[in-house]
Amino acid sequence: MTRHVRRFGEPGTVSPVDANPILLDDSAGDVVVVVVEGEHDIYTAPTLRERLDEALSREGGVVVDLTGATFVDSSVLGALLDVRRRAHDAGQGFVVCVGESVEPGVQRILDITGLVPVLPVVRGRPQAIEAVRTNGSAG
Amino acid sequence: MSGAPASEVRLTMPARPEGVGVVRQALAGMADALDFDAAVLADMKMAVTEACTNVVVHAYDDAGELEVEMTADELGLTILVRDQGTGIRPHPARSETPALGLGLPLIAALSDAFELRGGVGEGTEVRMTFHYARDAAAVADRAVPGQVGADGRWDPEAGSRQPSAGGS
Repeated sequence: MTRHVRRFGEPGTVSPVDANPILLDDSAGDVVVVVVEGEHDIYTAPTLRERLDEALSREGGVVVDLTGATFVDSSVLGALLDVRRRAHDAGQGFVVCVGESVEPGVQRILDITGLVPVLPVVRGRPQAIEAVRTNGSAG
Repeated sequence: MSGAPASEVRLTMPARPEGVGVVRQALAGMADALDFDAAVLADMKMAVTEACTNVVVHAYDDAGELEVEMTADELGLTILVRDQGTGIRPHPARSETPALGLGLPLIAALSDAFELRGGVGEGTEVRMTFHYARDAAAVADRAVPGQVGADGRWDPEAGSRQPSAGGS
């Protein structure tokens, strides 16, 4: 009798984004919040890009909330920088927030690359939503 | 030392995106057993992730293997990430979106020692060492030289925010 060997990402297995969710929260109205939780790297980056595209397509401001994220790599930074550029080109605000107690696996890469003022990164989500409303022309 | 943790771990797996998190898990287990500080573990995870991602994205036209070796000694942990691919440089990225180009600069800044070996047709090996005892203030001040260019890729030559304190 042969047993079926499960592989990552196959039907019947837990998808990477089930364990490490990326959700859209549009309860702020004119600003869509992309809520990123858990560990994110090259495996989940394509899903992150899809969610960011979806957020951008709503034509308002975009906040990426990394408060629940425990690890992000340069694939994630690449996705964030890409959507930031496109948001700016379209006159849509873009801000990242990380919460009050930031995980070392998130804070370190932002600090060492000097991207905190570039993205930009703020602490709380309400602060980020406010900042997006002022730095974009939409909404 | 009786009951000492494993001083050597070797992993070989298909060079695919889902493997990178598995390497991080193994590293976390080993670093925990070696009683590494959480800040050093965060740096190790990030550097190893970037090295493995390079293998997944750049090493092979088709399929190939990702090899990782972690060896502890009295100074710290040395991690080797290796592929048998076509060499690190002139190779179109497999991913549809161009990479940021931040991987190797990040590894250099995060590790206490770093070496890149390989050539066209002979595979690539990234060797990085992390010490148990680090000067926390100096480590916290490290920065990746350069900044994001207009093309969205990392430009290591662009006006640095501060003199590079990375590498060693």
